[in-house]
Amino acid sequence: MPGYAMLVPFAVLFIVFLVWPLLNSLWFAFTNYNGVKPPQWVGLDNFQRLWFEDERFRKAIANSFIYVVAAVTLTTVLSLVLAVAFRGTSWRDRIMRTLFFLPAVTSTIAVALIWRWIFSVEEFGLANTVIGWFGIERVQWLASPGWTIPILVLMAVWGGCGYGMVIFVAGINAIPEEHYESARLDGANGWQQFWYITLPQLKPVTTYVVITGLISAFQLFEAIYIIFRAVSSVGGVQDSGLMLVPYLYDMGFTKFQLGYASAIAWTLFIIIFVVSMIQIRVTRALKEL
Amino acid sequence: MAGGTHAYQTCGCGGRVPADSGLHHKWWQRGAGPGSRGPATLTFWSVGADENAQAFQAAADLYKQSHPDTTIKVQAISWDDGHAKVLTAATSKSGPDIISGGMSWGIEFGELGGMLDLNDRDIADVKSKTRPEVMKAITSPDGSVYGVSMDNAFYLLYYRPDLLAKAGISGPPKTWDELFTALDKLKAAGIKTPMVENFGTFEWLPWFNWLKQAGGSLYADDCSKATIDSDQAVLATTNWARQYTKYGVPKAATDAGAGLAKGEYGMAIDGSWVVSGLDSGHPEIKGKWKVAPLPSGPAGAGTFVGGRIVGVMSYTKYPKAAVDFIKWLYSDDAIKKLQTEVFNKEGALYLSPRPELVDSLNTTDDVKAALKTTMETVTGPPNCKGWELSGADVTKKLQSVVNDGVDPKKALSEAATIMNNNLK
Repeated sequence: MPGYAMLVPFAVLFIVFLVWPLLNSLWFAFTNYNGVKPPQWVGLDNFQRLWFEDERFRKAIANSFIYVVAAVTLTTVLSLVLAVAFRGTSWRDRIMRTLFFLPAVTSTIAVALIWRWIFSVEEFGLANTVIGWFGIERVQWLASPGWTIPILVLMAVWGGCGYGMVIFVAGINAIPEEHYESARLDGANGWQQFWYITLPQLKPVTTYVVITGLISAFQLFEAIYIIFRAVSSVGGVQDSGLMLVPYLYDMGFTKFQLGYASAIAWTLFIIIFVVSMIQIRVTRALKEL
Repeated sequence: MAGGTHAYQTCGCGGRVPADSGLHHKWWQRGAGPGSRGPATLTFWSVGADENAQAFQAAADLYKQSHPDTTIKVQAISWDDGHAKVLTAATSKSGPDIISGGMSWGIEFGELGGMLDLNDRDIADVKSKTRPEVMKAITSPDGSVYGVSMDNAFYLLYYRPDLLAKAGISGPPKTWDELFTALDKLKAAGIKTPMVENFGTFEWLPWFNWLKQAGGSLYADDCSKATIDSDQAVLATTNWARQYTKYGVPKAATDAGAGLAKGEYGMAIDGSWVVSGLDSGHPEIKGKWKVAPLPSGPAGAGTFVGGRIVGVMSYTKYPKAAVDFIKWLYSDDAIKKLQTEVFNKEGALYLSPRPELVDSLNTTDDVKAALKTTMETVTGPPNCKGWELSGADVTKKLQSVVNDGVDPKKALSEAATIMNNNLK
């Protein structure tokens, strides 16, 4: 009994602040709820509107998938490259790892403001200053729909590769050195060692990095909210940066459609769940090959 | 109350009644609840800067001198999360008694059931003192007024006379033709960014100025249908788009003051609040800048007016005291106090809903003249059903004219369809 009693504080907090809000949100997803008047049961109407009628939602889904694929792929690859390059215990490697990891512990808001400055259209905008040195005309980066996703991907890769690198370094250093010694005795070169030993041994780590990357990429909000507010309402110019969470925020807290926003939230959960399951199954299948 | 106990509150009938008795409900409805006779402490969430809230606190303290039983505590909330905070307060039915917020917030939160309809509280005097265009914008389609105008904000044209003169321009452009001629001349004189446009940059807000100047409107007067696809709107959109496509007006918000000070911009269309910060923020151009009303279009002058509303949350225990304070904000004493305090605390001009009091502002005669002239041609946002939902989509259609070269007529027709669907 004393053991179970020790769990009570956690269980109470867990139920009150996680389980209950989750169940509430699920209930709201089937209602028409503006936050003030009592919710009205509408059955599957919210989901039907969301999946079959809502053009903005389709735009948000498309933007999210393009962003997730690009950001997660590039972040994972670059993280692995950095981990291989700086996996040692020398001072150089330690300093480089620290430098690349810094964005992961920096406030997202501060980072977003810096990127907003970099891509500012004004004279002081860093990106325009740099291209100006080469005689290139100023670009309205944040107000050009074509640049929205590339800028967000760049930010994600810059901010995320340090975290991935640290995970990969841990994974690489856990690979027994004997594998490499045997390979070297068999005449394997560096690339062969990487391809036939490091990469297969890192499958579980890669799965972890990819899945956590997927989840955070699907939940992107602050960068869009802060950076593109200077040019447009939530979602950037012509919704070029509209993704699932900003759309959820817009519907819930700007347009007071909290029932509909809950339906978006549960759809986001389903998407992340399905994509993660696929990723895990694929990794397992590859492991069994 | 649970447990068989009663919470007692002071009523205007000279005795005490249990809070859960029928009597409580009746005197509440009459607006003679707590605060009408007994001491009341009200919380006022003021959206904006801390300094602005301090200025309103000073006004509230002045109010207390003549209303010793009422204490108003003013708290600043930011524009960034103010909307969500007020929604949370309305949802949980706890929080401030009075709020200020964006011009559309009164209708938005009022229709949700979060704010009191002030029509039931004898605000005829307040209505008579407010410009009809502003009053129309804050009145719900069913006639409810959930928030009255607290201050006004509108567009002005800022310019550097020396840069204009250097480019061969004698004065600020007064018409569209003169504006485009000035932009040509400024570019020819080597100013890469001849003009910037802030306050809802590249959204429907600044476009609305062009729409009014062309003689167009968003909806029919009776809100029966969208009129955004009219010939006047096409003309407005074509010329609005021209400033971006031909003259490189930035599509992202800029620091107009800094750009004017450095000579990077020749002109800036920006909010009226900028007028007070130019000298203090950029003393190097003190006396080197001027302000004028926006250039007129074929239908004459026209300027969008926004600003803040102030209203009472529906759950407040002190509706009478809250409404009394709001009505007092329209008095000469209150406005003069606010003009002084807003200027002293944040260096800004307090543009009250009463245009005749512009003369007592702490600024130059030139600025006062520009403010007064502009206030004569202001138009507020539409109060038609569904506009809040349509605004973002209309903006996207307008942006497609500039970014994708979509025909203005087609873009506006699509916008009209969206607006008409949301009207239903």
